[in-house]
Amino acid sequence: MTGVVLGIALVAFGILTGGAAGLLGVGGGTLMVPFLTLAVGMSQHEAEATSLLVVLPTAIVASIFLHRKGIGDLRVALRFGLLGTGGGVVGALLALALPAHVLRLIFAVFLALVATRLVRDSLVSS
Amino acid sequence: MSTGYKDGIVSGIEAPALTTPTQLAPDARRRRLRFGLDPRLIAIGVAGGVLSGLLGVGGGIVMVPLLVLWAGYPQRDAHAMSLGAIIPISLASVITYGAAGKVRPADALLLAIGSIVGARIGAGALTRIRERPLKFVFGLFLGAIAILMLVRS
Repeated sequence: MTGVVLGIALVAFGILTGGAAGLLGVGGGTLMVPFLTLAVGMSQHEAEATSLLVVLPTAIVASIFLHRKGIGDLRVALRFGLLGTGGGVVGALLALALPAHVLRLIFAVFLALVATRLVRDSLVSS
Repeated sequence: MSTGYKDGIVSGIEAPALTTPTQLAPDARRRRLRFGLDPRLIAIGVAGGVLSGLLGVGGGIVMVPLLVLWAGYPQRDAHAMSLGAIIPISLASVITYGAAGKVRPADALLLAIGSIVGARIGAGALTRIRERPLKFVFGLFLGAIAILMLVRS
């Protein structure tokens, strides 16, 4: 029984993150990883690996839809994303060498600044 | 035909901007160089990749703000571009992680079934929402992530 309940919860949460991903232009891993560790009880590594496997089809479906609607430039996006994969390797190696909590703090401050700017831009009339 | 790139942003009252056609930032066209790309896009792709590898956050959280504030894309187009760029980035990560054998396939399948449906709904909403509320919602999302990260660190 719990297996069925968990299954339904996973599909429902999938719809939620997929919806957020499609609207916000992100993969959804940031939402999925905490859910999988805290609610489903996966280890951090399992949660990250599993969420990546979900992010891929999500991004593909949303991208094809938006490409058909003529929003953005998928060809350009795929190309700079491909260059980004090299950056991913560098980042993973750097993560081993640098203190994670300091990086997280710096990044959180950066995000907070950007968030403030975007919310302000959306409220202030042009 | 195109009256200028600014129309995409100032889609306030007179232009409801339902499915606005794609408009590249004008200087994005001028500055195409290596790999047929604006150097800023190369930097954004690499930054997205590095930070996702470094912090375990999705590349989109980094790429969307940079595409808007630095490369000058309209918010809506930035979201679409970010999703496109996530495809190769996450594919590479899946291959790396898949080799480590940590994936839980049954759970991933169930999540993916929901997520594919959700992606279609979310992307549909992206085509309809106006620039300004979109900016607001994305700003709130970033703020929430920032708080989450501060709590964790």
